[in-house]
Amino acid sequence: MKRLTLVILLIVAAMLFPGRSASAQANDFASSINLENLGRIAVFGDGRLKSFGSHANSMMDAISGPKRINGQEAAYTYLDLLFRPEAYRDADIIYIKNRQVRESIATVLEKQPRFGADIGERMATFRKTGLISPMLLGDQTLLGLFHQLEADLIKTAKQMDAIKSAQVVCDPRFLLNRLRIVPPGSGSMDEPWHGIDEVMFVAGKTSAPSSFQMLAQQRPPLTDIDLALQANIADAWRALVNAWTNVDANGVNAATASLAELLPKVAPDLYPNQNRLEWEQWYFVKDQLTRTWIVYMFSLVLLLIGFVYRWKPAFALGCLVFAGAFALQTFALLLRWYISGRWPNANMFEAVTTSAWFGGCGAIVIEWLVRKTTMRSLFLIGSAATSMVALMTVHFLPAYLNPNISNMMPVLHDIWLYIHTNVIIFSYVLIFMAAITAGLYLVWRVFGGGPAFARAGGAGAVVLAGVGPSSIAGSAPKVSFGEVLDGVTMVLMELSFVLLWAGIAMGAIWADHSWGRPWGWDPKEVFALNTFLVFLVLVHIRLKVKDKGLWTALLAVVGAGVMLFNWIVINFVITGLHSYA
Amino acid sequence: MAFPLALFSSVRFGIVLMSILFVYCSIGSAGVIFPSNGELVYDQLRQWRPFEMTEFEWFHWWPFDLLMVLMALNITVTTLRRIPLKAVNYGVWLIHGGILMMMLGCWIYFGTKVEGDAPVVRRMVTAELLGPAAAGAQPAVVDRATVIASPGQRFSLTDGTRRYDLEISSIDPEWTMRSGESDSKRAYSVNVMVRRSGGAPDDGVPASFMRQLLAGYPQHTEDVIPSGDPAQPMKRAIKAVGKATVDDGLRLSLDFAPAKWFYLRMELEKAWALYVRKAGDTEWTQRPIHGMPLYNDYVGDTSLVTQEPGDRPLPADPINVAIPPVANDPFPDLTLNVSGYLRYAFEETLWKDGGAQSPPNPRAVLRVAAQSGEQENYTLLALDPRSNKGDEGVVQFRWAPTEEAYNALLNKPSLRFHVPEIELDVTEPIADVAGANADAPFKPIPLPKAAPQDRLYSYRVIAVQDEVGFSTGNASVAIVEIKTPKGSYRRWVFSDPALTRDVTDEFLKDPHAATVIGDPSIEVQYHPGHGKSFVTLVAGPEPERLRLISSLGERVQSTVIEVGKPVPLSDTLAAAVMEYQPRAIAERKPVIVPKAQRQRDAGVQFSLARVDIPGVGSQWFRYHPYVFDSPAAVLRRFPFNPQTVRLPDGRMMEVIFSRQRLGLPANIALDEFVLTSHIGGFTGEMGSIRDYMSRVRFRDTDTSTWTEPVSVSMNAPVEYAGLAYFQSQWDPPDEPRFEGDRGSSGLNYTVLGVGNRHGVWTMLIGCCISVAGMIYAFYVKPIIKRKQREAVYASVAAKGKQAEVAA
Repeated sequence: MKRLTLVILLIVAAMLFPGRSASAQANDFASSINLENLGRIAVFGDGRLKSFGSHANSMMDAISGPKRINGQEAAYTYLDLLFRPEAYRDADIIYIKNRQVRESIATVLEKQPRFGADIGERMATFRKTGLISPMLLGDQTLLGLFHQLEADLIKTAKQMDAIKSAQVVCDPRFLLNRLRIVPPGSGSMDEPWHGIDEVMFVAGKTSAPSSFQMLAQQRPPLTDIDLALQANIADAWRALVNAWTNVDANGVNAATASLAELLPKVAPDLYPNQNRLEWEQWYFVKDQLTRTWIVYMFSLVLLLIGFVYRWKPAFALGCLVFAGAFALQTFALLLRWYISGRWPNANMFEAVTTSAWFGGCGAIVIEWLVRKTTMRSLFLIGSAATSMVALMTVHFLPAYLNPNISNMMPVLHDIWLYIHTNVIIFSYVLIFMAAITAGLYLVWRVFGGGPAFARAGGAGAVVLAGVGPSSIAGSAPKVSFGEVLDGVTMVLMELSFVLLWAGIAMGAIWADHSWGRPWGWDPKEVFALNTFLVFLVLVHIRLKVKDKGLWTALLAVVGAGVMLFNWIVINFVITGLHSYA
Repeated sequence: MAFPLALFSSVRFGIVLMSILFVYCSIGSAGVIFPSNGELVYDQLRQWRPFEMTEFEWFHWWPFDLLMVLMALNITVTTLRRIPLKAVNYGVWLIHGGILMMMLGCWIYFGTKVEGDAPVVRRMVTAELLGPAAAGAQPAVVDRATVIASPGQRFSLTDGTRRYDLEISSIDPEWTMRSGESDSKRAYSVNVMVRRSGGAPDDGVPASFMRQLLAGYPQHTEDVIPSGDPAQPMKRAIKAVGKATVDDGLRLSLDFAPAKWFYLRMELEKAWALYVRKAGDTEWTQRPIHGMPLYNDYVGDTSLVTQEPGDRPLPADPINVAIPPVANDPFPDLTLNVSGYLRYAFEETLWKDGGAQSPPNPRAVLRVAAQSGEQENYTLLALDPRSNKGDEGVVQFRWAPTEEAYNALLNKPSLRFHVPEIELDVTEPIADVAGANADAPFKPIPLPKAAPQDRLYSYRVIAVQDEVGFSTGNASVAIVEIKTPKGSYRRWVFSDPALTRDVTDEFLKDPHAATVIGDPSIEVQYHPGHGKSFVTLVAGPEPERLRLISSLGERVQSTVIEVGKPVPLSDTLAAAVMEYQPRAIAERKPVIVPKAQRQRDAGVQFSLARVDIPGVGSQWFRYHPYVFDSPAAVLRRFPFNPQTVRLPDGRMMEVIFSRQRLGLPANIALDEFVLTSHIGGFTGEMGSIRDYMSRVRFRDTDTSTWTEPVSVSMNAPVEYAGLAYFQSQWDPPDEPRFEGDRGSSGLNYTVLGVGNRHGVWTMLIGCCISVAGMIYAFYVKPIIKRKQREAVYASVAAKGKQAEVAA
């Protein structure tokens, strides 16, 4: 029976595994471009030096949102849009998130017969995918609608801003202008970098083609950089442009390699470590390793089988897979830390992934402490489920949880960012894990489990293990699932209770010197307090009711609901002072 | 057991209280969702008409306070009566004690909380006009003015004979000095443009020059003067004439601009106030307004406001909030009254038709649309020379009182030259205007065949200005230069010949004595026709009648046009009158902005209050975030439009609607504002900013010396005299915002958050105690229990052994 379940579950899991989609196969030219060369080029923008790939990623985000154009890498699309804009004029590349906005645009456009017979079909696809071509979007007949959308500040003005910025970013002149890849000749930290458009006219072995005049204004050579070096850079850039327009992948690779070599020479001390840039490029190409959720899913399946059937090999294998997933997640976290130069907890993407990672750490430590008790494997189950959900969220909803690395707002530069935020997100992940074991408890009850609860709940159960009559902390076989699950929920709940309260107090300490008041009744604060109130009720209700297990499980789920409400609804709908995370 | 004691020692009661608190917090903070017309509607309950509460107010309302008192009693009584004070219970005691202490801290903190914000300007410019110096004495100051250092500030000084018009033309917050021992140091540099008139003509001072002032380096003040050299039009005075400043009669200096007030934060608690003063006074008197709403619109008569079509109609819901005089009020006899409030509205001029009784005042909205879909709407008033043209005269709207006047409009603009002596009478169309081009050719006026061919006349048109407003009505003018056998003349030829005159040097010196026409042998008349307009909409002679003159093609075409019916102008263009009022009258009314179109973070920025003034009537007053003393003190990006009201007894009262302010315990000056950035410096992108830092100095009100500067930056406040100061807003660089405005490099002021923080330590200690209690209860208590249990088992086991031994 248990083997059969295992096989079935693994097959289901494998089916869920997303295969490589056919569209991911780009053309030969695209696949022969060496992205590593591009990755070694640093781009300056928004007060940061990014790898070209990361820069392209954030720019393409503005155009196609979470969608990848033709399955191409952002870095490739960026240059292709720049060098061959005509190929994209009528390609569906601009992503519109809001379905209502899609609908109203489609309704206007499908009435225009001049777009050809297939406009109805195109609009049907657009309604589904949200992707539309710059040409259609720039049509005059939409102007009236756009005015209307702009005027509604609450519902559609933001969407309209996004559409407008997508249109701006699509423009090759803009893409070129943002290629600030030439360091200041002085090597000063305080000077902005030059755009490639400032040097591309400098005559070297080749001279600037007339097409450059359309893209940027011709200027005299820069005064702060050696003229010969400027000419070399310009030559390399022109070689890149020519090779690209001639669809010559080898030429492109040679040109990017020489750019990657020449640019650091302008200011070797200022130029960022090319190793870091390459890692950054890799990190974004690999989707920030968020696919680790699949590994977590496998470990979750194995651990659940191990727990339900008390089957040791499944448990052992589950632990192994969990370790692998956790190692991958740790690597992604450390890599992000290395790339951005700061601990990742300053935006929603980082808060979600880091908090899941904290859950993994906590689970491993507690697992070690309870390894000889019946509670074994449940903490790993909670953590695996949590990390899986967290990584799936960031993987599938990048439009909401933007993975791009940017500078922190000045208000966040404080030691308490690291203390308060991490304590809070640690407590949140524990709350989520507790909700998972509480959920399992409720499932057990639905399937006929009795009103069981852990007599010495929480940490007490662990401490009191082996003293006196049998408890869940022992290895006695008589203990029911209900008792064990309730015990685990309580361990997690107690920990999150202390951490949440301490975290709120720490937030108050920070707010006192940052906003001028420790407590401002900001929605985010109030709902952190509300989450705590739910657990406060839980602790006290456990003293009074008979069916302690049921009440605990219900309130743990409610508490997690309030916590998620705080994280999702308050963040995206009711924004307050905590708008950044 | 007595009832209250039983209740307050009940855990169940505690659970009920906690649940109520949960609900209270949720609806107060997140709002409520309810079904309405089959749809789920989300709204903020606390903002509804009966409540009108900010978050802070909702959480200090009496039900909340009552809840807190009940909880405190519940915790206290239960702990004392039900939880024995012994080792296993220390944790609970600590938690409950800590929470009670934290509640006490909150009670102190929120009971005394004051919070606001204070704008602090970096420097002010003091200008002094000096009289002649007596031997050995300091010259006397004859006129004096002070303005804040902000680009575009204008002011003037005069002593009756000399007049100086000054303008702060630019400010460089980080000017690098290039002189002597200060070389390469950076300073705040203010450039003042000086224009001088009057005074002794030959004192060697140029009529205009620039004076540069450096904060902290008065010794480096210097003038830059026009050099007359086109390669380098401005030269440092020290190089040009050998001295740093060219005019010793003008003294300019930079001083700290002490901030004296902080304005209460409206996000925290409603703190409306009306400020009044007698016209001409500098000090305002603050009248707090208590009981005025915040979130909803209130007006007794809805015809006082306009709503956008489709917006939910506003109910008539008047308010009545008295604003009595305060101590030392300049108008002690005058109680004002707020009778209306709008959260988010703009005053707009609205037009409606005045009916047959009103005089003609044609107003039309003309739409010119291209086939491609582009279109432009022009709102035109035929009788107002400032708004009867669109796109610089390409489109115009004219009033023709007679059919003759209408026919005149059908013509292209022309000049009629008439020399009776030689029977010259020609009409020439106006093709080009010379403008500032001094080399534009003169065009010969064709002579009649019979005339002597040596009598040469020629002309060129310098400029044309149609429909200029005069006190007597509108007139058009062509400025023409004519060459006649007698000489050259610049003649202003008006459509009304009575106004035509030659403008000569003589005329410029004394217009009244001058000959009006230099060469009367030639008469010139200007027929403006439809001017340079391509599309002329004409109303009249009957006010209801509209016609359109199009001169887009070769021929001038005229058609009758009706409201709403497009008329083709060319193959690709069409015109339509969208609205027409022959006898329009203007009405100024607030237009309520529909909720969906409001900026989310605008706060009360666009609110209006309607104030009844006894004997005068009611007026709308726009909200001002800050109350400045004069235009010379106004910060960039902040409004300052006090309204002047003439009371029935003739007294003039100035009024501003704003928020309450409190005096700062110490004056504050902004020494420097430092923007630190990430790699690459500040690029204008917000992401490049690392930190904002105000270097401020304090000065106790009873002393005259400033403290050394201290830094206030993000997350790093400074405490002084019982108040904490936080970095709150800054002055970013800015382009010119309207015609004649100056751009700004920014960093000319800072806004500091100001607040007290009594009781924070009590709160913090309470929190720490409760955290310690939780750790004890969850993690120490089990160890104690384990030890106790082990001891019990050990003693049981020992007893067992004893029993065994005994057996």
